[in-house]
Amino acid sequence: MLSPQTPETKPVKLSVRNMDFRYGEKKVLDGLSLDIHAERVTAIIGPSGCGKSTFLKCFNRIHEVSSAVKVSGDMQIDGVDIYRGGIDEVDLRRRVGMVFQKPNPFPKSIYENVAFGPRLFGVKDRATLDGIVEDALRKSALWDEVKDRLKESATGMSGGQQQRLCIARALAVNPEVLLMDEPCSALDPIATAKIEELIGELKENLTIVIVTHNMQQAARVSDYTAFFWLGKLIEMDLTERIFTTPRERMTEDYLTGRFG
Amino acid sequence: MPDASDTLLDAPPCASDPTRESPVVESLPKEPAFRHSRLQRLADRWSHLLFLTCGLLVVALIGGILYFLAARGAGAFLPLAGNTDKVLTLKEVFLSADWDPNSGKFGILPFIAGSLSVTGLALLLAAPTGILTGVFIAKLAPGWMKTLMRQVMDLLVGIPSVVYGIFGLMVVLPWVSGKWLSDSPAAGFAVSAAILAVMIVPTIVSLSTDAFESLPLALEEGSQALGSTRWQAIWHVLIPAARPRLLTATVLGLGRAIGEAMAIQMVIGNNPQWIALMRGATDQTPVLRFLFTPAATLTTELVQELPNTAAGSTWNNLLFAMGLLLYLMTMGIILATRRLGRQRNA
Repeated sequence: MLSPQTPETKPVKLSVRNMDFRYGEKKVLDGLSLDIHAERVTAIIGPSGCGKSTFLKCFNRIHEVSSAVKVSGDMQIDGVDIYRGGIDEVDLRRRVGMVFQKPNPFPKSIYENVAFGPRLFGVKDRATLDGIVEDALRKSALWDEVKDRLKESATGMSGGQQQRLCIARALAVNPEVLLMDEPCSALDPIATAKIEELIGELKENLTIVIVTHNMQQAARVSDYTAFFWLGKLIEMDLTERIFTTPRERMTEDYLTGRFG
Repeated sequence: MPDASDTLLDAPPCASDPTRESPVVESLPKEPAFRHSRLQRLADRWSHLLFLTCGLLVVALIGGILYFLAARGAGAFLPLAGNTDKVLTLKEVFLSADWDPNSGKFGILPFIAGSLSVTGLALLLAAPTGILTGVFIAKLAPGWMKTLMRQVMDLLVGIPSVVYGIFGLMVVLPWVSGKWLSDSPAAGFAVSAAILAVMIVPTIVSLSTDAFESLPLALEEGSQALGSTRWQAIWHVLIPAARPRLLTATVLGLGRAIGEAMAIQMVIGNNPQWIALMRGATDQTPVLRFLFTPAATLTTELVQELPNTAAGSTWNNLLFAMGLLLYLMTMGIILATRRLGRQRNA
């Protein structure tokens, strides 16, 4: 974990400036500005309904699948605005992967789940696909558990395995950023511990943004923590500082359980 | 086997934990304040009997029809009481395409082949159209159009088949004859299958729409989060995920198609010798000959000839056997799909 004594060496990967998010008439996110560094884990915490999941989904524009939304302000990946830079959302989502709150494997075999993304992008060669699938499953610490049953349906796996499969599926297209929307909320403590361990390994060459309602989890896995409240960013800092000496009274109250 | 719910009810509440005395339990009176009246209990028993009777009645009806068809149909092959005519062998009925009852030839292959052809063609037209329309309604149509189309489809399911038949006879047949086949009649499999397809499409659309709407949004999001386009998500994730229910939709359409008599009878041409006629004609390509030769099916022959044959005659008995065959074919399809659906779900 990054400590206050060592200076940040990683560049800014995602940058947000004065961002508003409207769902119909309702303003869900209000004037957000923050930077997310490459190869770091950034946790977003806050009470239910504070807009943290909504914010996360803005990075890959996935809420456009189900509803008409309006984003204003700046949201950049490597300095390119993802809403007005003429970026195709399909290209964007290839670079910015996502793991959802509830594991959502496709009703296909384990192998086909992981091979899904590479196939979309035109990988047809069997040996190449085999390699990608094995690599992604190894990275998600699932390979040893499933290598003998790759042809079996993914829906027969345990919840924790399904979630790691979803991580493998996201990794298979080699994203630069991985968004995780409360990835452990449907899992038991042992499966949760496995995913947290995995997050520590994955940040070696991946920018991770994780939304969590579990403050201990944020403290365990993240380098930076952002505290949201009612659609506003109250405070963002190194995780160590947020959990020991927060600047805002509100952050301290939330972390100590006085509200939320 | 002991009933789990009974043992749970019998166990005294919180008996295992004497330290946790619940004040609520203590304050309850010894006798329950409310009991069902004797009348209510009696009504319960009677309604149970009523439901049981209704259920048994349905089973008895289905079994009765099956028995009736089998008993009458068997007369075609066995010298049973009430049989006034000669009996046939299974071979000359099921393995012969020669149908000429007046000279004692009773090969029903043309009808079986006709039923399968017209149903197969109809499904070929209706299943893809219906499923893709289902995708459109469930995933792509704007709200008002979705509501409108669902209501229209539900209405179309209820239109009597004879109406489709009239439409085929008065509109489609003359149109096809005039447009493409200047000198020959248009009756045959093509027009019958088209009419049949129009008839079963609403059923397939309705059930496919339900199938797609019941899929969790998470599947589509998961696919698009990996960088798939909307169409790729539909083709590679949603349609495969809905496959068991789409199969059911198609089979229900199939069941309606194979049993349909009125609509087809009006446009198919009713020609039991269609196989011979098709073979004899050489003026058109085989596909066109197949599509536009007046033909017949099991159902159309039943509708056409049942009123014209004498009870107890070979012909009449055989018509019952054909009815039984239709019955068994439909049952077989339904059972096979159920098994198929179960395997895919497992």
